[in-house]
Amino acid sequence: MIVAAAKPHHAPQPTSATETQLADVWRVVVLNDPVNLMSYVVMVFKKIFGYSEQRARRHMLEVHEQGRSVVWTGVREQAEAHVFALQQWHLNAVLESDASV
Amino acid sequence: MKRVEVKLNLEAVAPLLDVIKAAADDLRPMLAVDPRLPANDTEFATAWTGDLLAAQTSDLSFFLALFNAEFFTDGVIMLDTPNSEPILRACSAVRLRLREKYLRPLGDEALESGEVPADKRMTADQRRAFAAYVFLATLQELIVQHLNPTAPE
Repeated sequence: MIVAAAKPHHAPQPTSATETQLADVWRVVVLNDPVNLMSYVVMVFKKIFGYSEQRARRHMLEVHEQGRSVVWTGVREQAEAHVFALQQWHLNAVLESDASV
Repeated sequence: MKRVEVKLNLEAVAPLLDVIKAAADDLRPMLAVDPRLPANDTEFATAWTGDLLAAQTSDLSFFLALFNAEFFTDGVIMLDTPNSEPILRACSAVRLRLREKYLRPLGDEALESGEVPADKRMTADQRRAFAAYVFLATLQELIVQHLNPTAPE
């Protein structure tokens, strides 16, 4: 078990750390379109994110009824990969920074 | 590996292939959905859209190859789990293109339900495009229901 180090160290300022963490959080958002089938969209969410049928369906309904759904949140590199994969399946996917809220 | 043999009505489907092939040709130099890029950088954007376009082109070629000599002889196309993904994506790309080219005036409700109100007048081109749009949706439904592309290999 590691106990607290006796020697003092300079911890980063809390504000800076929070800002850095927020800047690193990105959202993958899917927007509604009238063409892609509901069953297709559910299948794509299951395929790309590994979501259960229930969760994939919930996101699909959110897209359909509210026009958009945040389908994934995380680090930028992975978020970009998800947006690319969704666009490969011809879904209207965008990347948003949490800092832009 | 699951496999589905689909027997299509040649007389009904063959005329739709012209519309589908024309839409697929339109998509050679452009994407079915204009992508919103995650970065405002020309080099990045070129690479991103280039990769998407290459994938779309590959999917469309794969899909069009379904309608081979065997199809024109007995109306049969073969679907299996590995080929289901490019076909699903190609159907989506062509449907999106048909909407842009012919079907937008019909309204989103008609496109979502697959039913055009009886009082809505359509041109001959729109009728063919709408029939192709519905046919491709049926093919997608069939693949999602019977081949379950999300199942582990």
